[in-house]
Amino acid sequence: MSLMALREQLNGLVNSMFLEGLLDDQFEQLQMLQDESSPGFIAELITLFCGDSERILAELTKLLDQAVVDYQKVDAFVHQLKGSSSSVGAQHVKLACVQFRQFCEEHNKEGLKGIYFFRCLRALNVVKHEYYLLRGKFDTMLQLEQRIQAYESKQQI
Amino acid sequence: MSVGSSYASSKLESDRVPDKFPVGMKILLVDDDPICLAVVQRMLLNCQYDVTTCSEATRALSLLRENKGAFDLIISDVHMPDMDGFRLLELVGLEMDLPVIMMSGDTRFNVVMKGVSHGACDFLTKPVRMEELQNIWQHVVRRKWLDSKEIERSGSVEEADRGRQVTDDSEYASTVNDGIDCSWKYQRKKRDAKEEDDNELDNIDPSSSKKPRVVWSVELHQQFVNAVNQLGIDKAVPKRILELMNVPGLTRENVASHLQKFRLYLKRLSGVAQHHTGLNSPLYGASSNAKVGQLGRFDFQALAVSGQISPETLAALQDELLGHPPCNLAMPTIDQQVLQQASVQRNNSVTFERGIAFGQPLLKGQAVSSFPVWPANDLGALGSASNLGGLNTSQNSNMLMTMLQQPQPQTVPSESNHAINVQRSCLVAPAKSSNKFQVQGNPMHINQDSTIISSQSSANFQPGNAVVPVIQDSAVVTSNSSTSLKTGNNLFVTNHRSTILPSQSLTGISLGTDSGLLNQGSIIVPSQPLNSSQAGSNSILSSQNSMLVPSHLSGSLRTDKNIIPITHNSSLNNSSSLVNYNRLPTQSNVMPSSMKQVLDNLAAVDSFSVPVSMNSQVLSSTGSSTSWQLHSPDISISHPNGTHSLVPSSCNIEATDRLLVKLPDKGLGKNLGFVGKGTCLPSRFAVDDIESPTNDLTNSSAYTGDDGYLQNQDIFGISGTLQSGHCATTSFK
Repeated sequence: MSLMALREQLNGLVNSMFLEGLLDDQFEQLQMLQDESSPGFIAELITLFCGDSERILAELTKLLDQAVVDYQKVDAFVHQLKGSSSSVGAQHVKLACVQFRQFCEEHNKEGLKGIYFFRCLRALNVVKHEYYLLRGKFDTMLQLEQRIQAYESKQQI
Repeated sequence: MSVGSSYASSKLESDRVPDKFPVGMKILLVDDDPICLAVVQRMLLNCQYDVTTCSEATRALSLLRENKGAFDLIISDVHMPDMDGFRLLELVGLEMDLPVIMMSGDTRFNVVMKGVSHGACDFLTKPVRMEELQNIWQHVVRRKWLDSKEIERSGSVEEADRGRQVTDDSEYASTVNDGIDCSWKYQRKKRDAKEEDDNELDNIDPSSSKKPRVVWSVELHQQFVNAVNQLGIDKAVPKRILELMNVPGLTRENVASHLQKFRLYLKRLSGVAQHHTGLNSPLYGASSNAKVGQLGRFDFQALAVSGQISPETLAALQDELLGHPPCNLAMPTIDQQVLQQASVQRNNSVTFERGIAFGQPLLKGQAVSSFPVWPANDLGALGSASNLGGLNTSQNSNMLMTMLQQPQPQTVPSESNHAINVQRSCLVAPAKSSNKFQVQGNPMHINQDSTIISSQSSANFQPGNAVVPVIQDSAVVTSNSSTSLKTGNNLFVTNHRSTILPSQSLTGISLGTDSGLLNQGSIIVPSQPLNSSQAGSNSILSSQNSMLVPSHLSGSLRTDKNIIPITHNSSLNNSSSLVNYNRLPTQSNVMPSSMKQVLDNLAAVDSFSVPVSMNSQVLSSTGSSTSWQLHSPDISISHPNGTHSLVPSSCNIEATDRLLVKLPDKGLGKNLGFVGKGTCLPSRFAVDDIESPTNDLTNSSAYTGDDGYLQNQDIFGISGTLQSGHCATTSFK
């Protein structure tokens, strides 16, 4: 594919992500930060985000799997994930985390503890779902970027 | 909102801002989230700042300690696994005096408020945007500028035209303070109680810096506080403080910046006091001992006077006092008159809740704001403290005194400060009456009539009685009750010294709990036992020496206040319970905050053993008066029953020589009022003001005159009046 086509594809992908709400204007800010002095900034960030998020999701799964769930820890992790997703601009993931946190806070309500637990489980699933969706698109983005950069460096030679 | 930009820029050069500032400004970024760390770092680099990142707070602290001059600004996250961001904030503020900006994804009011109260320059919401970071250099300039300004200023107290906008640095100018108070007023809303273990904050002992940065050790800080108390918080200017302190190698600049922090701390305390959280931590939470001392006099009086207490409240209090001896009157009833006069502002009435140790606080239910009165049970004195804070502005109200709780956050009316400020007048909390009570001058003296509450009896407050206001503030309290003292709650708040005592009277009330707050050596002695009463919890907290002797009255110790552990030296204690802001569990309800704990501790029905020996810490006041020195080292409050109340022993109350707290020299058991139940330690705080020492409190019968110690000795259990008979009177010497 030609360089231009690659670029178009990448832009199209990113735009569609914006339109769908997968990304918000924080991501735009990040795009602005990437410049000649830090060409791989977004790629690095995305990679960092994915690694960190998956770690957190694994922890959350483990925590909710316990006989007695430590909601404070769960909340702490969700808070962390919320922070990193908002820093990256991953809007849907962030919103899912917000909702998850609400359920965590409610779990103390009397009675119905079981229900809240299930809600938390479900919320975690939503977060995972959103995350993996985003992750897929990020992967595509990164690949396109790599190819573009390969093209560009080839052209410079 | 930096101070006039042109102004600032013209000052840039003189402020030693490096060339091309803010380019190259050195920032330390602390956040456990790697993504956020990377994003913010990138943004800062794009602003052309020089960034060092750190993902652990502990590592950041050691970086800071090793290279004191290496950073201009710190940006830190709030939620971190190894150390709470606020704690880092405080430590940095204390040790290094660098501007710190907090960041968080959590922007709830109480979180941001916590940032403010701990001294953060700014609070950023995650995700952080580039625009927000572009102007952060202003915090660095502002701080430098303020520091240099303070240095330049020599002895002029008012900075009337300064009119700076309230920044996180507190201005010490009294006029400015007013303005600041006002602005803070609304900031003071409910605040989360500081849960952190501030207790351990004592002795932050940073490694000595190789650079000019001064390490404010406990002793140095005490000297500082002494000097400030001596001068009066309003008049405390760096140059004079420096002279009084007479420490070789200390520069005016050091003193100036420390003074700023101190004021901020006081404000925070008073603000916190307003919250329900009660005394704990906020008051002392100041973590860092440095702050502790600061409590500053509690302008309890002022608060009270300032009309914080609504007349109804006072009246209510009075009624209570009179009507029910057991009721705790938190505040000494102040003469309405006085109050009225004082009431400069009436902020919300303080509601006292029952049960508060301080003797029932003033009003049942009414919150007396600003009134330092000991307040109410609920919230613990802090509320009042906050009030006081407000009041004092000039003074630095330290109020610990938990006075009144404030249920309402009403900020202490700054006006009241005026009122209170009265020069040191004692404020007396009037119970009921709202108005501020101004107590002027001399210890405890409530000006004008001193009111004091306490209906019933006694002398109440008499200037002099009661607690004293110790230098600087005095506290006092006392409340009525027959025989002497009133129970009033003394609140003392004083920062330095002052003691408070509270009430006595047997009948219960007393209560007032004293709240004393001492910051420096102040003592607080709780009122006496008398049954009922309140115990006002003594909450004392003295930081730095001060002891608290919580006495609580039988049963109720209300302490709403926390007795704060005095950091440094003072140890109250029962082991730690007092010392740390524990709250005594008072029977009464609400004790908010630590006082309660303290009281509980103290009161703990079971003996506390107060670490008697109060160590002689008595600090002898040297020269600088105003701080009490608690010398009586043994304040052991032992409760006849075996419960020991904690007497703050070791409180280093720095009162210089005058300290009036007589510690149980008299026989500890006896004095220590702090008895598990309701004993109050009457500590005498004789605070003597350096300034206007009216110290002799002799006037009040109850009070031991000699140093103006408030509380008559009897009250403290000394005489059997107290129920438990424990009154620890600590005499500070």
